[in-house]
Amino acid sequence: MLELQTKQQAKSAVKKRKGLDSEGRWGLLLVSPYLIHFLVFVVGTSVASLYFSFSDYDILNPPKWTGLDNYAKLFEDPLFYRALWNTVYFTILYVPAKTFLALLLAVALNQKLKGLKFFRMVHFLPVISSWTVIAYVADAVFNQRIGFANAFLSKLGLAPQNWLIDEFWVIPVLVLIAIWKSVGYMMIIFLAGLQGISSDMYEAASIDGANAWQKFWRVTVPMISGTTFLVVILNTIYSFQNFEQIFVMTGGSTEAGSTGGANNASLVLMLFMFRQAFSFFKMGYASAIAWVLFLILLAITLIQFKLQKKWVHYD
Amino acid sequence: MQKRFPLNKIVGYLFVIASALIMLVPFLTTVFNSLKTYKQYMQFPPEWLPNPAQWSNYTTVWEQANFSSYTINSLIVAILSVIGALLSSSMIAFAFARLRFPFRDTLFMIVLGTMMIPGIVTIVPQFIIFKNLGLLDTLAPLWILEWLGQPFAIFLMRQAFLNIPKDYEEAAKLDGCNPFQIYWRVFLPMCKPSLATLAVFTFMGKWNEILAPVIYLISDENFTLPIGILSLSGQYKTEDQLLVAGALISLIPILIVFLFAEKYFVEGSKTSGLK
Repeated sequence: MLELQTKQQAKSAVKKRKGLDSEGRWGLLLVSPYLIHFLVFVVGTSVASLYFSFSDYDILNPPKWTGLDNYAKLFEDPLFYRALWNTVYFTILYVPAKTFLALLLAVALNQKLKGLKFFRMVHFLPVISSWTVIAYVADAVFNQRIGFANAFLSKLGLAPQNWLIDEFWVIPVLVLIAIWKSVGYMMIIFLAGLQGISSDMYEAASIDGANAWQKFWRVTVPMISGTTFLVVILNTIYSFQNFEQIFVMTGGSTEAGSTGGANNASLVLMLFMFRQAFSFFKMGYASAIAWVLFLILLAITLIQFKLQKKWVHYD
Repeated sequence: MQKRFPLNKIVGYLFVIASALIMLVPFLTTVFNSLKTYKQYMQFPPEWLPNPAQWSNYTTVWEQANFSSYTINSLIVAILSVIGALLSSSMIAFAFARLRFPFRDTLFMIVLGTMMIPGIVTIVPQFIIFKNLGLLDTLAPLWILEWLGQPFAIFLMRQAFLNIPKDYEEAAKLDGCNPFQIYWRVFLPMCKPSLATLAVFTFMGKWNEILAPVIYLISDENFTLPIGILSLSGQYKTEDQLLVAGALISLIPILIVFLFAEKYFVEGSKTSGLK
């Protein structure tokens, strides 16, 4: 009797374990595509990239280990500093202006204005367009010969500018276009955040006699700081990796060597890396650039996370 | 307070209308540019309206360049990517949301982690992998990774699966369904809105992508639309107004998708901000 009971218990225990195993097996089976993705295309490629960055590799011949040569060369390359500065300059102009404008737009639309859907759609038009389309839209405004910006200047009696080639103008104009393209997207993220603020906060502020401006700075801005933080992080990462816009707008050709603007005025880090890899086939050097870019980005993101304690409010 | 409220609204309207004009006017100008003759296109100072409108620019660019081939390539890439993303990412997400298996939570943290890590360091080795697989100058590198699951898509679908009550799962189990059947027959049909969101986002991303096509495609007959147009502008320096028409043609499919699925696009935009 006792024996039978133990047997049954053992049997059910086996059954239970077998059941768990089956679910476990199914689980692993179903996630296996991502396991392959992760092992081959994340871990494998990262290890390979790190190895390449310490070697001389032109694709045709096997990589030759050269130690820190690529990194040493990089830190002596004036083009690297040029590209680094251009990238930082782009980010400094781009991230704060875009964040502020997107927040203002979201606040305006959050007042339950009529035609919300229409305004949202208008602001999404550039978001859904490829950079190739945007390049022609930007041409309509900033092209040296046919653009309306120069027509306007000449009406004022001012000299026309070569907006997308001129060393002084190229980055600010690219930033302006980049903000124009994607401010609608960030506006939606802010709108979602704004809808999470309870109206009690505004009523309390009204009772205390706050005007609209004070409400914006004292209630909206602090209450939305979590979203703002996220938008700043996303945009900084985007800005450091901006390739498509620069590639399409300051070259206009698939011949990789021909891009980067006059005197490399719009050569950013991603374009610098792309050129080394796919125009000159210096895969080792390009990998070193990629790692330096990655480390810079990591450092900036970590600093932003550290700084968030100072200005991001969580309830 | 009653007086202040309308003033806010007026300022809001003025701001939003000004902003909408800044968004729309350059687009309209581009549309008008696409309808000009070359002579009118190049004239300075520019005239806003085309006179007369050259509708034939659109048929000319379509017929002269390899446009139908670019369009078909773009469609192949976008559609295969969408199918891959819907099938694999939802399956992976279902396992993360609903099944218990070893290292599940660690693995999911990894998925989230890879979402944060920018893909720059993997570009060169990825190119070498696809080159060694003999996939250079084919469309495969542009869509194949979608079939192995993408972090954002997995995250999006996992959220959807987490929201389904446990009762459905248990009822299906009693009926003798295995986990795959539960996923396929019960959970997947219940997540259509999230699937639609994912489809819209994937389609748009792939339709507009430039970096990967520039790296992987070499011959003209394999080009997708964005780089096909780009290469035309490099090759033929004249007749720019035709290229403007070409670029606007490439916008039409995405515009149609957007008009039909605006709701899902907004949903996806919000989600991308939440994490």
